[in-house]
Amino acid sequence: MKKEDINKPAAYRFLVSEAYKTASQERHVSWGLKLLSFPFQLLVLIRYLFNKHRDESKRLISIIEHQFEESGESAELKKELLRQEERKTAFLDQSVSRSDIEKNAEHYYQRARQREIKKRIDDQYRKSDIRPQDFLHETTSWLREPLGFLLSIILGFPMYLLLWVVSVPVIRYVANRLVAMLFVIVGVTVIVFTLLHLSPSDAALNILGEQATPQQVENFNQVHGLNDPYVVQLWRTVKGVFTFDLGISFEGNERVVATIMRRFPVTLQLAFFALMFSVTVALPSGIYAAVKANTTFDHLFMFIALIGISIPSFWQGLIFILTFSINLGWLPATYSASNLASLIMPAVVLGTALMASVARMTRSSTLEVINEDYILTARAKGLSSKRVILRHAVPNALIPVITIIGLQFSAMLGGAAVTEQVFNIRGLGSYIVNKQFVPDIPSVMGGVIYIAIALSIVNLIVDLIYSFLDPRIRSRIKNSQ
Amino acid sequence: MRSYQTNQIIEQLKFNNGLTWAYSILWLILSIELQPFSFSLPLLLIGAVNLGFSFIHQLLLYRVRQSAFRADRKTAVERSLAALMIFGIVTGNLFTFISGIMAFKKSLSTGLIYSIYMVLVDMMIIAVTSLNLFKPFVTNYYLVGLSVLIITLVYHSLILAFGQKIYSWNPGVQRIALGLLLLSGLTGNLLVFLVAASFYADNQPYSKGKRQTSIREKLTRNHAALLGLLFISFLLTLALTSTFTFSYSFAVQNDYANILQNPSIQYPFGTDNFGRDVFTRIVYGSQISLSVGVLATAIPLLIGGALGAISGFYGRQTDNIIMRLLDILYAIPGLLLAITIVAAFGASTTNLIIALSLGYIPSYARTMRANVLQVTNLEYIDAARALGQNNKQIILKHVIPNAMAPMIVRSTLTIGTAVIATSSLSYLGLGVEAHVPEWGNILRIGSQYLETYPYLAIYPGLAIILLVLSFNFLGDGIRDATDPRLN
Repeated sequence: MKKEDINKPAAYRFLVSEAYKTASQERHVSWGLKLLSFPFQLLVLIRYLFNKHRDESKRLISIIEHQFEESGESAELKKELLRQEERKTAFLDQSVSRSDIEKNAEHYYQRARQREIKKRIDDQYRKSDIRPQDFLHETTSWLREPLGFLLSIILGFPMYLLLWVVSVPVIRYVANRLVAMLFVIVGVTVIVFTLLHLSPSDAALNILGEQATPQQVENFNQVHGLNDPYVVQLWRTVKGVFTFDLGISFEGNERVVATIMRRFPVTLQLAFFALMFSVTVALPSGIYAAVKANTTFDHLFMFIALIGISIPSFWQGLIFILTFSINLGWLPATYSASNLASLIMPAVVLGTALMASVARMTRSSTLEVINEDYILTARAKGLSSKRVILRHAVPNALIPVITIIGLQFSAMLGGAAVTEQVFNIRGLGSYIVNKQFVPDIPSVMGGVIYIAIALSIVNLIVDLIYSFLDPRIRSRIKNSQ
Repeated sequence: MRSYQTNQIIEQLKFNNGLTWAYSILWLILSIELQPFSFSLPLLLIGAVNLGFSFIHQLLLYRVRQSAFRADRKTAVERSLAALMIFGIVTGNLFTFISGIMAFKKSLSTGLIYSIYMVLVDMMIIAVTSLNLFKPFVTNYYLVGLSVLIITLVYHSLILAFGQKIYSWNPGVQRIALGLLLLSGLTGNLLVFLVAASFYADNQPYSKGKRQTSIREKLTRNHAALLGLLFISFLLTLALTSTFTFSYSFAVQNDYANILQNPSIQYPFGTDNFGRDVFTRIVYGSQISLSVGVLATAIPLLIGGALGAISGFYGRQTDNIIMRLLDILYAIPGLLLAITIVAAFGASTTNLIIALSLGYIPSYARTMRANVLQVTNLEYIDAARALGQNNKQIILKHVIPNAMAPMIVRSTLTIGTAVIATSSLSYLGLGVEAHVPEWGNILRIGSQYLETYPYLAIYPGLAIILLVLSFNFLGDGIRDATDPRLN
């Protein structure tokens, strides 16, 4: 009992050093670990340099190399490779000069020699106790000793955070996705900023008019920081995106981010309703169409879905207004925040494309699943048709549907710009469109960037849901170590 | 056991039956005039005649479905019913026309099926072009253009009637016939090339009894895709020939004497707030929509395809760098990227094409990369490498040709999306310049007169829907034809 207690920290230290060893196999992770525990690594380095001259492995390598040359194996290998090279040229009917053949053979020989020597050295290591005295070995041996372990915690504790993230597959996956998202956000900012920066038109003259005095122009440029070099402006924008401060708009003197945040909820609400509408219609009808494949309902419904994809949303909006507002008078033609009924038409119009593609996807993936063997097994067990479809087929069929929803959500937020214009909704989409006519660069930039950020977050969530729903992906993540 | 050909006829008749009834009823509904309630006699008459044809169609379908029916031994009644149905084209009913010829012909080859649609395109073009006769004046080239179209129609009809016997002609005549056929493809009628390819392939030795495996052959089993192809060819031909047969001045010149006219025979879709003929504007709009759609598909197809192929073939760091950079582009919704570019460089057709192309690059690259990854793991790539081919040869000769099928499907579908995106941006005022006759621009004006003159918004919208729907039908058809699981 007591012995186990003593051994517990030792076992734990061993675990940590093993984790460190595995993590260090990837180059960028290894550099990250070294950077995060810099003071500790410095100590290790001193000891390593101090111990270096006692390294047994260097001598071993030279002995093996010597053996290889002496025994004649080296010359044999060289001859064999040269012969192979000659036969290859003869077979392929290539006209290659003698010196080229020899050069190629020499090249292959060098590679084969290195491989052979490495193999022998590894064999030797396995037989004897001698280990290569490299830096990694030094570090892990420190981690295995109580004092070194303590030092590493005191001097390099951030390293353990990285080690933890890297060693737990699920957390590592999430962290990877987060880093990728950060990269995308910065990249989007750079692209959008650069595109708008390359604009040939002069912002100050656009806003102030041709009659503006040089003083006014200078003042305008000063206020908006347009005189700064490209890199400075870009840095300010990237920083601004993360600190929610993109300065003030060219026109109207309002804070860009404040306006965007005021308008974003409207667009999100619209998108949410559109999503709800399309999913509630598309999923049941897609599944039903798959169950009744090749019937009149199936053909008719898929035709309607195809029309749904083909219809331009602004035209659909106009026709809806013409029919339901002007001719029938059932629904209001323009949106007002207090009246929820005014959101019905915009949500339907915005959701149509999503509904159509989700329905098509649901149908095809359900059809695919229905023909699987395990569905046959379920039927053979005597389960009712309803149970087979709802319990066994649908959950598996939904996996690709989730991806489609995630992808289409992007098109939907983009398409919101058009729908909002048609129904006169004061959301973020119509804000960008209206500001683009000015053109009010900071507002357009802010709107586009924040929509892209929102989409990245949605896609991240969809990806995570996806990977936890699909056992195949789950196991792939676990085995990625 | 029914023969393959019998099944083909039954499938075609089943598909067309619902459509011809729907078409007849559409005419009847159009003939109703509200306020005051009455019927327009000509439209009612067309509807009634169409109902008659639909009835014949139903009758033939019933007879064909009987087990006694054999495609190669049709009775006199069936043949005469089929012959009668061909005349449905007089009232514009193309469904009975297609069914009629299919049921009338002794044997059906791929070339024959495409010829039916080829002739239909010619007829539709001539019908639309002759509407110009009711205009105050026509272009200088009008008569020349119309006669060329009529000669083409006659020639194509001859091909439809006798083309199947091409193997029995002597080689010189064969060559001249196919050459003339290809020449007539210059009008923009895409189906001509399919017909020529089919007849050429049928004419090769050992082609009889061969399994039909090419996309061209399999596509004929998908009736919806053929209708899509028909409309695309029709619009392309219209776009190409309209330069000679339609007067551009009706589309752009203001005519304040004829502002906001209702649809009539002179102005089939009415006139807009500047007195411009909406019909001519829509015809000229097809030029813009098709060219922007095709260009905004071809550019990302090339760039995205190349990036995807490189990324999938070389893998590792190359793959990582290219795909991460494209991820950034992918994160911005296409429409917003277009708005950004337009905000920076101004609204013009060129900027629009660049903006749309840029947005489509990532999805093409992803598709290509996935295909290439799949292909590079196959044995024949190893075999090529063992035979001493270098990377460039392997990519160009083995990888890309075998990874192209999904790209073709995707590009067909993207043309439709690009058409929608173009008109959406023009509708917002960010796309094509406002004075150019483009479908989105026409709709923009139409949306201002929605309450009083709804036809201004309805017709261009229908044109967009039909074009996009056609591309989607065709894309679905090609996808089914290339899907190995459906074979």
